[in-house]
Amino acid sequence: MLKFEPNQLFFYLAIYTVIVIIFIWIENRRIRKSLLGKEHEMQRRMYEVTILKELGDRIGYSLNVQKIVDVITGSLRKLLDYSTVSYLILGDDGRVIFHCVLEEPVNNNFIEVVRKRMIEALQTLSGRGIKTEEIDESVSGTISDETNKSPIKSFFNVPVVINDQPMGLLNISSTKEGLYKEEEMTILFTIMNQASTAVSKLENLLNQEKGKLNSMVESMADGVIMVDTRNRLLVINPAAKQMLGITKSGASIFDVLDVLSSKMDLRTKIEESIKTDRLTVEEQLKIQNIILRVLISPVKDAINQPLGAVVLFHDITKEKAIEKMRDDFTSMMVHELRSPLTGIRSIANLLKEEKIKNEQKKYQEFIELIVSNSASMLDLVDDLLDVAKLEAGKFQIMRKPTNISDTIKVRVQSFSSLAAESSVQLETKIEGDLPVFELDENKISQVFNNLLSNAIKFTTKGRIVVSAFLLKKGGSLLKKTTSLGMIWPGIKDFSPEDNELVLAVTDTGIGIPEDQINKLFNKFTQLEQSALSEKKGTGLGLVITKGIIEAHGGRVGIFSQVGKGSTFYCLLPYEQK
Amino acid sequence: MPDKKTKVLIVEDEEILLTALSEELKQEGFDVAGAKDGVEGVEKAASEKPDLILLDLVMPRLDGIGALRQMKANPETKDIPVVILTNLSDYDKVSDALSLGAMDYLVKANYRLEELVTKIKTVLERKHTGMPKLG
Repeated sequence: MLKFEPNQLFFYLAIYTVIVIIFIWIENRRIRKSLLGKEHEMQRRMYEVTILKELGDRIGYSLNVQKIVDVITGSLRKLLDYSTVSYLILGDDGRVIFHCVLEEPVNNNFIEVVRKRMIEALQTLSGRGIKTEEIDESVSGTISDETNKSPIKSFFNVPVVINDQPMGLLNISSTKEGLYKEEEMTILFTIMNQASTAVSKLENLLNQEKGKLNSMVESMADGVIMVDTRNRLLVINPAAKQMLGITKSGASIFDVLDVLSSKMDLRTKIEESIKTDRLTVEEQLKIQNIILRVLISPVKDAINQPLGAVVLFHDITKEKAIEKMRDDFTSMMVHELRSPLTGIRSIANLLKEEKIKNEQKKYQEFIELIVSNSASMLDLVDDLLDVAKLEAGKFQIMRKPTNISDTIKVRVQSFSSLAAESSVQLETKIEGDLPVFELDENKISQVFNNLLSNAIKFTTKGRIVVSAFLLKKGGSLLKKTTSLGMIWPGIKDFSPEDNELVLAVTDTGIGIPEDQINKLFNKFTQLEQSALSEKKGTGLGLVITKGIIEAHGGRVGIFSQVGKGSTFYCLLPYEQK
Repeated sequence: MPDKKTKVLIVEDEEILLTALSEELKQEGFDVAGAKDGVEGVEKAASEKPDLILLDLVMPRLDGIGALRQMKANPETKDIPVVILTNLSDYDKVSDALSLGAMDYLVKANYRLEELVTKIKTVLERKHTGMPKLG
């Protein structure tokens, strides 16, 4: 058994204690160091997160690289020790931006060297040459100090890459030596990289959306231009260019203002619209042969800040033409009704006088005039009502089984004396064994009245043939008419897609020039023509005929040859039973 | 009433209006001739030598403006005063007619006979008291 002296025991104990203390101290230091390292790591992570959040908050959906880099450089101090932080960025407009933030008062030469190194690096990175005169240079932060002769002792560059395109460089420089190790560079690189990735994604997304919007605006029939708050032209679509007669590709707002200068003050209107935050409308603007309605609408961003204005040019030439036709039609209608009415009133006044009663012949003549004029006015009113019903879609037909052959015979009979007066031979050509059709017989009679009275009006000493026959699906109209022994001047052969009942009136009259044919079914031109014509009638007969046939699900057409005659035909589809 | 009756030529395609105007003016003591379109109007202006012409604007064959041009181009008829018969809707044409030398116009709808007679007399007076021709 070992025996210790008390002194000896104390000595050993003391040594042991010291060893334990040393051990604890060492261990403590080790732990502390590791904790510090972890804390540092945490701080770095925190910083990364903070700066990325800050980037997100401050940049929003901006695609402005400079703004992003500004945010990063502004908060870098928390992470790194440096004398200057600088960036060199390739701008959208071909300019190059150099900005240097001084954290310590270095001299101008220091900045100059930073700039030179960055230009060289960016030229290598981007493969494009950068000329000094292209660079917009600015310095901020502490003022420079020419007495400080310290040169750059440590520095590093971080590239700014958006969508695989090098867009610029970030540079950190210091007068102290050996300041930047891999760790510092990695942090900044990571941050830059994450920001770049976010911007790249956003840019792709925006480009896609922009592409959709662009193709929509490009293909719009309305003219669209957009200007910013400084009156710069941002967008002009092809329709706007065409309407305004601008042919060059890089049009500016001045080209637009030039075209409009004598007609409207677009600039003032745009400013007014932005200022009052209201839609401004110019109802009618005439440029060459077109009439435009111009709408100016302010454009704001998500937080209600004005971005500019959109100007929309809507072509209203057709609407205006229709409006004018409608006005003309109304005044024509008033004329057509008013003239005979004035006459009737005057004649009736004359009839009131005593002495006219002694002139038997004149008395009779006046009465006749009143009768015939009031009858034709009534016809016109009836026709106008029919046209109004047709247009309002209130024209109704009542179908019942109709023997079309009988209908035609009755109509032809009623026109025989009128035809004889004009020395016109009136004939029928009705295919045998025609089935019974479901038609509105009264309305179909009205069609024959219209067609026959027209044919007689425009034929003297000739022949009028009223025909009715079936044209089977896929059959030839020309073959059919020929087989029935008819010649239709100006006929163009066709085959129907359904079985059709063909009703036609062919004359050997004056014929109709090709360019006049379409006007025959237009109420506006018809009423106008009738006022200028010696022939009696409202001119609306064909408009009504077309309406009646279309109400039956059919269609009308005209074949004509000037000097030879015309055929007015109706095609009525039927189902074979 | 003047010794010789004043002769008025009415050019109007609406038969009932032509008849009514003729009869009314006859009763007012005028000598009246009628024409039912522009072509006939131009012919009768030369053959009838009226003191005044009432001329409708909207007519078949030759309209009022065309007829007026031909009348003013013919030395025999160019000095005959012309009063245009018009509808409310023809104001554009009326100003054309006035610039072609028509003296006045009358809106057909709701015209009153007294108004028409006064207008005819005024126009004729204006013509007679007008500047004498040099020559």
